[in-house]
Amino acid sequence: MVLSVAACSEHSVGPARTYDDFERKSRTSAAVALSSVETVRLLAETSSDGDAWGAYTNIGLSEQEDTLAEATGDFASIQPPDHRSDDLRAQLLELLDSAGDHIATVRIAARRGDLGSLEQVAAPLADDSVALQHFLDSIKR
Amino acid sequence: MKKVLGVALGVLTAIGGFVDMGDLVANAATGARFDMNLAWVVVVGVIGIVVYAEMSGRVAALCGRPVFDLVRERLGPRFGLANLLASFFINMLTLTAEIAGVALSLSLVSSVNYLFLIPFVALLVWLVCWRMSFVMMERVFGLLGLCLIVFAVAVWKIGPDWNQLLSGSTHPHVPHSETLFTYAYFGIALFGAAMTPYEVFFFSSGAVEDGWTSKDLGENKINVLVGFPLGGALSLAIMASTHLLLAPRHISVDQLSQVALPVASAVGRLGLAVVIIGIFAATFGAALETSLSAGYVVAQYLGWPWGKRDAPRTATRFHVVIMIAIFGAAVFGLSGIDPVKVTEYSIVLSAAALPLTYFPILVIANDARYVGPDHTNGRFLNAVASVYLIILLLVAIATIPLMIITKGGA
Repeated sequence: MVLSVAACSEHSVGPARTYDDFERKSRTSAAVALSSVETVRLLAETSSDGDAWGAYTNIGLSEQEDTLAEATGDFASIQPPDHRSDDLRAQLLELLDSAGDHIATVRIAARRGDLGSLEQVAAPLADDSVALQHFLDSIKR
Repeated sequence: MKKVLGVALGVLTAIGGFVDMGDLVANAATGARFDMNLAWVVVVGVIGIVVYAEMSGRVAALCGRPVFDLVRERLGPRFGLANLLASFFINMLTLTAEIAGVALSLSLVSSVNYLFLIPFVALLVWLVCWRMSFVMMERVFGLLGLCLIVFAVAVWKIGPDWNQLLSGSTHPHVPHSETLFTYAYFGIALFGAAMTPYEVFFFSSGAVEDGWTSKDLGENKINVLVGFPLGGALSLAIMASTHLLLAPRHISVDQLSQVALPVASAVGRLGLAVVIIGIFAATFGAALETSLSAGYVVAQYLGWPWGKRDAPRTATRFHVVIMIAIFGAAVFGLSGIDPVKVTEYSIVLSAAALPLTYFPILVIANDARYVGPDHTNGRFLNAVASVYLIILLLVAIATIPLMIITKGGA
């Protein structure tokens, strides 16, 4: 039972042996990033509307920042199997870094008590969201 | 009138006490990822828990002894030991998840990292187990759990296309973005969340704690037949809220804060406050139940005095087991392990151990030596319960392979 549980890590950090493997891991990482980006956008919107208090918003933002950072770190540590994978890796890492930066900006503003304008601060995340969705659409299932 | 009020209170407590961390996480995650395509599993799970909870309550009321106490006697010490080991292990995972859930809910109002709150929560759970009466525990946390009805309010405020919502629930399919394996895996998680073993052990032992007799059989039936399905409806409201608000945004639920987000967005600050009270009550209540269940299963198997109805000095070993269980769960939670992942594993592994829990209940409920000749299961009930036993067996067989194939639902 313990072995089964241990076998169930979502982002195993071993090398991807084929391009298809690498593409699958890229898709997982991009989906996690998209979820974090959209959660932060919804949190920012909710907070700006006065529908969430500071503690809830701060915890929610920190959780998503940590989730994205973990996904970025896990993906960056995966050994790409070939040169075709290098392009894919570079493309996705750029998207992940951009999303991470913008989420950090929202988190900083929230911790400074700037809840009313969080939606405005989170505006760049709309582009990150579109870019991640395009990335996911471009990868075959 | 007093009787009617008592029954009403019992039903409300059953509704509010139905949802725990497993239900919150499983239903929210499933709604965000599979829309309403797994709603049917909640219905199937609720029918199952209704059938078996009624049986275990009936056995306890007629024998004056809870089911687990009778398992070793009726099915032998080896089966009883297997049941004990499986139940205790899963109970510990569940208790860890519930304590973490309480800490997480408190962190959402305090901004304090939930890890710092775990020791405080563990102490509070132990203190309440130690000092608060059984009836008070049931009522307070069961009734506060009714705050989770705010999920239904959120769904109503979002203003969905009700025909589409109903159609999506009644015409399930595997979404294009998923595989049959992940669909089945999450189905098992939902099923495990609805039929978690500690619920029947607690329900059965609780019937003895409350001093139920044959006169309470009617109330047992009403609590179970009305309270649990309405509790299941709450689960569906949680699923619908994330389906309507999170799924269109491609948000997958990995954190407890995301479970509350649809309510905050749709109902506002007041809704957020109410839902966090509800989450706190549901997880704290479940932490109490799993703590007590840990004590019940060990003490009942070993023949020790047990129960809150006796003074702690009379049931010392029972209370020591509870203390050790709470301490162990807190230590495990403090390791930093993701509480949502622990919750997912606890409900999925629960599903793997379900036959061990429910098979003995069916055997004992059919044994006239325990329940009397007039109160054994009827043919219809036996037919339904037997079908469920087959379902439980298939679920148990499929659980671990699916967990490996899908890498824990990834």
